Amino acid sequence: MSTKGTKIPERLMIPFAGITPAPTQKGQDLFPTGNWRSIRPVYRDKLPPCNNACGTNEKIQGYLDLVKRGKYLDAYALIKEDMPFPSVTGRVCYHPCEQACNRGKYDEAISIRAVERFLGDLGQALKRDVVKPGTPNGKKVAVIGSGPAGHSAAYQLARLGYQVTILEKSAKAGGLNRGGIPDWVLPQNILDREIERLVELGITIKTNCEVGKDVSWDDLKKNYDACVLAVGLTEPNSAKAEGENKEGVVYGLPFLRDIGMGTSKVKLGARVAVIGGGNTAIDCAREALRQGAVEVTMITVEAHPQEMPASPEDLHDMVEEGVELLHGRAMTAALGNGRIEALQLHPARFSGAINASPINVDRQAPAERFAVDNVIIAVGQRASLGWLPDEFKNERGTIKMDRFGRLGDTNFFAAGDIAQVGSGQPLMVVNAVGDGKRVAFNLDKVMRGQALEPRTIPVDVIFDLNRMNMTYFPHFPRVQQNMLPPSTRKKTQDEVIQAFSEEQAVEEAGRCFSCGTCNACDNCYLVCPEPCIVRDVRSNGLYKILVDYCKGCRVCIEECPTGCLEGVPELDFDTGVVRMDTAFAVSPGLHGRQAEELRNLADRGAKSI
Amino acid sequence: MPTIEVQRQLLPILDSPNQGARFYNPELPSSEPFVPGHRTCAGCGPSIQYRMTNKAAGDNTILVGPTGCMYVANSSYLCTPYNVPWAHTQIGSAGSFTAGVAAAYEAMIRKGKWQGAFPNIICEAGDGSASDIGLASISGALYRNHDCLIICYDNEQYANTGIQASSRTPYGGMTTFSPPGPLVPEAKTLFPKDLARMMAAGHPHCYVATASVGYPIDLMNKVRKGLNHKGAAYIMIYTPCQKGFVYETPRSIDLGRLVVECGLYPIWEWNPEKREFDYSFRPQNMRPVSEYLKLQGRFGHLHAEHIAKLQKFANEQWRMMNVQLPEALIQAADAKNLVNMASAVQAEQVAQTL
Amino acid sequence: MPTATEVKKRTVRINGCVAAAQAAKYADVDVITAYPIRPYTATMMALAQMVANGELDAEYIVADSEHSQLSIAHGASSSGARVFTGSSGVGVQFAYELYSPISGSRMPVQMMIADRTLDPPGDFGSEHTDALSTRDMGWLMGWSCDAQEAFDNHLMAYRIGEDRRVLLPQMVCQDGFFVSHITSDVELPDTGQVKEFLPPYKHPYPLDPRHPVSHGPQIMPEQGPPLQLERARAMEESMAIIEEVHDEFAKIFGRRYDPWVEEFMTDGADVVFFMQGGHAVTARFAIQHMRDQGLKVGLVRLRTIRPYPTDRVNEILSKFKVVGVIETNMGLGSVSSGGVLYAEVCAALYESQKRPLVLSFMAGMGGEAIVLKEFYWMAQKMADAQKRGKIEKRTHWVGFEE
Repeated sequence: MSTKGTKIPERLMIPFAGITPAPTQKGQDLFPTGNWRSIRPVYRDKLPPCNNACGTNEKIQGYLDLVKRGKYLDAYALIKEDMPFPSVTGRVCYHPCEQACNRGKYDEAISIRAVERFLGDLGQALKRDVVKPGTPNGKKVAVIGSGPAGHSAAYQLARLGYQVTILEKSAKAGGLNRGGIPDWVLPQNILDREIERLVELGITIKTNCEVGKDVSWDDLKKNYDACVLAVGLTEPNSAKAEGENKEGVVYGLPFLRDIGMGTSKVKLGARVAVIGGGNTAIDCAREALRQGAVEVTMITVEAHPQEMPASPEDLHDMVEEGVELLHGRAMTAALGNGRIEALQLHPARFSGAINASPINVDRQAPAERFAVDNVIIAVGQRASLGWLPDEFKNERGTIKMDRFGRLGDTNFFAAGDIAQVGSGQPLMVVNAVGDGKRVAFNLDKVMRGQALEPRTIPVDVIFDLNRMNMTYFPHFPRVQQNMLPPSTRKKTQDEVIQAFSEEQAVEEAGRCFSCGTCNACDNCYLVCPEPCIVRDVRSNGLYKILVDYCKGCRVCIEECPTGCLEGVPELDFDTGVVRMDTAFAVSPGLHGRQAEELRNLADRGAKSI
Repeated sequence: MPTIEVQRQLLPILDSPNQGARFYNPELPSSEPFVPGHRTCAGCGPSIQYRMTNKAAGDNTILVGPTGCMYVANSSYLCTPYNVPWAHTQIGSAGSFTAGVAAAYEAMIRKGKWQGAFPNIICEAGDGSASDIGLASISGALYRNHDCLIICYDNEQYANTGIQASSRTPYGGMTTFSPPGPLVPEAKTLFPKDLARMMAAGHPHCYVATASVGYPIDLMNKVRKGLNHKGAAYIMIYTPCQKGFVYETPRSIDLGRLVVECGLYPIWEWNPEKREFDYSFRPQNMRPVSEYLKLQGRFGHLHAEHIAKLQKFANEQWRMMNVQLPEALIQAADAKNLVNMASAVQAEQVAQTL
Repeated sequence: MPTATEVKKRTVRINGCVAAAQAAKYADVDVITAYPIRPYTATMMALAQMVANGELDAEYIVADSEHSQLSIAHGASSSGARVFTGSSGVGVQFAYELYSPISGSRMPVQMMIADRTLDPPGDFGSEHTDALSTRDMGWLMGWSCDAQEAFDNHLMAYRIGEDRRVLLPQMVCQDGFFVSHITSDVELPDTGQVKEFLPPYKHPYPLDPRHPVSHGPQIMPEQGPPLQLERARAMEESMAIIEEVHDEFAKIFGRRYDPWVEEFMTDGADVVFFMQGGHAVTARFAIQHMRDQGLKVGLVRLRTIRPYPTDRVNEILSKFKVVGVIETNMGLGSVSSGGVLYAEVCAALYESQKRPLVLSFMAGMGGEAIVLKEFYWMAQKMADAQKRGKIEKRTHWVGFEE
């Protein structure tokens, strides 16, 4: 017997006939191939441009993803973290998110506003809202103004546990939402429901209460622990024309506001002119049609429609409804005997940057006479701050505050149009909401004695389609909302743009790339050659890479549709570091253990299959 | 002794990940019969396929591994990444060892010597095994209709032995047995065997299909269809090999898509009930072959005339698939026109959506 | 499909091929792989009919080549099925790649070999070279000399090969035509006896999804030596079980075989023939006759050539003065420039104090019968050598020399 007296040393022990037991992750070691790689994949959510562009940084990618999966209530709750009234912005917002949407570079931007409206309306239908007031902290805050900024600030403060009172000078709450936006964009009942929600949160709303008249600065200081001034820009600017005080001359925002409040006494004649090239002017022109005007002409200093600061869609809808455009002119006088009969127009243009520089009127040129029954002047707003102590007024006619919105070291804060005018930010509902939200959080910090700090976290906004994998996104056109036919629109105050159905909302949300943000598509999980990407539940943040095994092939990074996965260099070849001891880096004791495990295999219970 | 009826598994077909505009993979099975810690190259195409196949098959599976990368690279050294039974067999025994396992289980279950549902029996043969040395054994297994699935993971060469030409290596493909030189500027003068078609034509009672790692869900569904088919099934799967093709490793899946979009690897199914080919698969785009060739070092030596020959071959594949050829691709089959198309910019412009 | 019902012991007149088929049937094999090549094909034809008649429930697979046959057998055995296969001549060699993997993976595949001369050219006649050329591959191997012994050897081979302590494949060989196609009386047992003797096949680590294992992963060179050592050990340790099983067989079936060598009229013999296989039957008649003539001649028939019973051969052959190894095989360029048995006999005798003279005879080549006259001639050569005190040459070509 040649094998008599032989003995195999421990380290060379091999299992019977080389038959090896099946591995489990904890039992038999396999090769730690992780020491092969020089680049490691990591999941890093980037900021999608929509979230970034939104005035209140709604988690747009997040709620679109939830809609894709049919989780409408969760999507609604996600919006409500940053936006109190999605059913309003879902109708009125000028959607900077859609302008920034990366899909716009690829085929057509996502119709985000329409999806938000779908979710907002769904939320309005709930008997009890998903948002609850915070645990009361005993502090009282006054919010002056119930427009978008005030509404947002009050909403966030109530969620933080403050006892909030809104003081609104008009008879109805809502601010610009009520009085600056026509019913055929934002029906009254929708806004009413949102105001109701504020009351459900425990907020007190006092209408017909004007600061400076019914309540003084000192009252505010005495009765409240803090105050948010969201008074807005309530005074219309003059067109600097002669005869503006004639009858039949109305100003844009008051015109809309009175109609919105139900207190309008304006009766429009057949021929109406609107002075101004912005969104308010457009709303006025379209409202004029619905108020009985037959011929409406918009007169702008801007030389072309493209120069107008108005939303192109609204401009297009306005032209569809039959409003005429007259460019390159300024109104220099309102002509008529006590009552306006015609406009005097002169050629005009901006002296420098469009809409941001003084207007040069060429009075040497021959004047035009433009016959009208009414003229609506919509050339901007300014603040009315008689009630504000002088120390807090600045030279521009607005409130002096620091970059956090705080007035000096008081507990007074300013938010909304009043704070943002002249800052370069367009004055929009969503920007006011964002401002109100940030000011609410700043106020809370001050109340709790925490320092106010500027944001220093670097943010990677993903704009470049090359950082994503476009092969996973075939071209699909944008789902269009239905609209009333132009000819019938002016006969009613019915909403012109109609809502998405559930199918449409899901289909449109499905077009979202989820730029830079994991949306659990499982592609990385599916294509890994090892596989060393594991997950239990399929959710953003729950994917894990087994670094013991990842070889750094980067197939996952390449095939990540959203560009969430990135490669991080691990090995610096310059330092001459050698990763492996030998080409055959076997774990010690490997074979001996396998022999052992194989011997015990028969005793172990059968695996269930 | 009364015989026992053999119970067979029926695996459900997965939904497409493309639901309208949304890309979202269907719910994948949770079992993981193939686990990490194996010594295949980073980005290994056959490994990707192996994992997908195993995921589709599940735990009641027996794997057969003829000699090749999916044997040697996976199982070195006495460490095997399979949570299901796996056996090595000779490179030429791909079909026959598999047949033996299938026959054993038929007999053992029928005679009451083993209880349970008939396991999935999957042979993972490289193209060297499937197209050359093991061709007869696979044909025998298919002809005899054993209830098994034979997969040819096609990396178009003998990879494990250090990249040598097989009968699946494409025209113009450089390998260590087909290097380019002054006498052979195209490196490989022969066009490959149409292996999958041979299997379909020769064994019409079997389920036969081609697939690619560029289309994972399609691959997994074909594996399941093959396993569900009562009888033998054969799937040839394009699996790029970073070492032999010489490309950047992250591109493994991308190459799997490009090869189909360039018409060089048509994806089809043979329906054994209807006895006809199903050529309905359409990739997203249609591209000239240069889009695919330019990414791989193994084609770096090709001249315009060689690329034109490959374009001609691709055009024939498109015709077989009943796809209308755009003028640009017909032009590209002539070497004279290719010189103009040498710029990548021009080539990209040809790509059109199907 | 119903399997054979309880069958009573009976005697039938069958040839070696059918005897092998009967043994497979009694062993209730699960998978049979067939590929036609003369002369073993008759075994597979008989089995095909048995399966078709419902006498045996097994998967009957017509493989596409011998290489595939053995691969199928390997796969089936790895899965836990009892397997039966076989071949002859170049067919045995076509499957060569599989022999080491099957024995190294410890799968007790059984192969029936009705031996046949190797090409070139085609020659259906018997020679042992086909199976012998695989003798180092780790299979248990031995020759039967008649149909009864073939039947018995097949049953014993399953019992030995499948024993947990052995787990090795077996080549049960018989001379083509002389055993495979000549009929004789064979006692078939009753199924109860077989049930008692042969338990069901149960490999400790089969390919079973309920207990997953991997067979045959790639190893590092340093792991090679221990694996080879274990294979050698398996072969060596099988010897004890071979002896055990032969005892059991005798007890149950009443036929006793010496596991290693069969001695015939060796008492007091000076010269002995040393051979394996069917020509031993003729040898017995020749020896009977020569003994009657007063020549002290005997026969030692090797029953098991793998594992080689070195000590036993040494012990037995040392008793004699001259050993004439009858080679029914070719070992071109071998140490005796004749066959392959000579070298192993000499090596077995090397350590012996009393070494006989050893010479070899190339006889029965190409399927020719070794006729009585040739035995007498060979015996004379051995007697001459004994008288001379030394051999003339190592290898004699019977029929071509004076």
